[in-house]
Amino acid sequence: MTGSGIRFIAPLLVLMVVAFNAPIVYMLGLAFWEKGRGFTLEHYEGLLETPVYLRVLGNTMRIALIATIANVVIGYPLAHWMRGLGSRARMIAIALVVLPFWVSILVRTYAWIVVLGNGGLVNRFLQWTGLTDAPVSFLYNELGVTIGMANVLLPFLVLPLFATMIRIDDRLLQAAASLGAPPRTIFWKVYFPLTLPALAAGALLVFILCLGFYVTPAVLGGGRVPMISNLLDTLINQIPRWEQASAISTILLIVTLLIFAAYRRLDRKASA
Amino acid sequence: MIGGSPWSRRAVAAMGIFGLVFLTVPLIIVIPMSFSSARALTFPPPSLSLRWYETFFGDPRWMEAMWTSTLVAAISSVAALLLGGLAAYGLRRGTFKGRDWAEGNFMAPLIVPTIIVAIALYLALAKIGLLGSFAGLVIAHTLLNVPLVMMVLGVAIREFDPRIEQVAWSLGASWGYTIRKVVLPNLAPSVFAAWIFAFIGSFDEVIVTSFIAGKYETVPKKMFNELILEVNPTITAVATLLIVFTVLALAAVTLILGRAGKLKQTLV
Repeated sequence: MTGSGIRFIAPLLVLMVVAFNAPIVYMLGLAFWEKGRGFTLEHYEGLLETPVYLRVLGNTMRIALIATIANVVIGYPLAHWMRGLGSRARMIAIALVVLPFWVSILVRTYAWIVVLGNGGLVNRFLQWTGLTDAPVSFLYNELGVTIGMANVLLPFLVLPLFATMIRIDDRLLQAAASLGAPPRTIFWKVYFPLTLPALAAGALLVFILCLGFYVTPAVLGGGRVPMISNLLDTLINQIPRWEQASAISTILLIVTLLIFAAYRRLDRKASA
Repeated sequence: MIGGSPWSRRAVAAMGIFGLVFLTVPLIIVIPMSFSSARALTFPPPSLSLRWYETFFGDPRWMEAMWTSTLVAAISSVAALLLGGLAAYGLRRGTFKGRDWAEGNFMAPLIVPTIIVAIALYLALAKIGLLGSFAGLVIAHTLLNVPLVMMVLGVAIREFDPRIEQVAWSLGASWGYTIRKVVLPNLAPSVFAAWIFAFIGSFDEVIVTSFIAGKYETVPKKMFNELILEVNPTITAVATLLIVFTVLALAAVTLILGRAGKLKQTLV
């Protein structure tokens, strides 16, 4: 059916060009346009001259990085442990990772208010064990936002990583063992390098998703932990500065696409 | 596996279990909290009651949000299924210039930060005067759901032997007839899974909806706005209902794909 595939994609193509590509191009245009004067870079100059924007940008980068590291530290052992389970236990573990993935982000974020609040499970436990006398404040600060984001994004790291680990042939590891390699050497010299591309790809994906995160910082940060998305919300809905919002969006979009290109290269390596 | 000492095995198991607990505990805790009789979010709840469910079902604004969410999800998931399904078929079976570009573009809403899609649509819809319209909302949800549909159906179509279609054409069947009578019946389980995923995706969408929905309230939008203002225990009831709804939907998908022997390829 050479050429005729076009007929099948045409309806969707029209929708995407009109309702997705055109709005994004329009937004990019706004960032470089000033009424009556045409092309300008002043909206970008405005960004550099406003310390608030740079601070939010730095904040976002830092939170995204910490949440990504937390994801790697929690996700890698989890995926590795799942690989070693029996088939029944493994199915249950997969279900427990997949289910949160599909539950609304709002529900998962809200759940942390219940768990981390002053009368919540974690604080009750800490006080019961006598580790602290007064409740620890997890909410409405960076700690809570980071925990919430790490939680929401964990399945994005664990599922592809697990898929890669499960494809590693056990005989490869047995061969290393039969040649006298101790378990630690097998892990670091054989197993870990084989999982590294998938780990790196997963970490990049999580990082990209962190950069654009909106719901979790808004809810768990209580307005005190602004990230790029929340700044954009303010610039659109509260103090209408559409050009400034467009300029920031353009930067965020370019950064995201660059990291995504790196992700694609790693991902191809991981699945090869 | 990698032998290792019993100690190191136990360490891995402990970390793995911690990971699973970290993922699932928040969801599990919300459920008993929704039956709490208290206004404060104390765990464990002092005593049980159904008052938050009564508040939810007795509130016409919540019920209206429920209706809007269902309607938007129903229309946009079917639209995404039709458009995305046809496109996935064209991409898998066809060879034409710009195929990779088209596929990348269809998947883009998954990668482009949702906040950017929200802002771009807000600006564009404001420009043409459709901000806050029902049509704008449905179109936005449709394009956000297309990647989910294409992922599920793309795999299913690739696995389906094209020679079966070729036999149908060689016997004189038209394109439309082949798709309706040969391709669709074989792909039915995956089509169902794709529809469920698209429905959940739309029903849970909050960011774009908050920006462009105007006076329309959906369940996630209302939930989000209430969460920003104050912690209201009615939300625990809504959250529990959403968890139950997701579990049931995924169970249906698992059952139907499992029966067709297609579970593994779709989920992992």
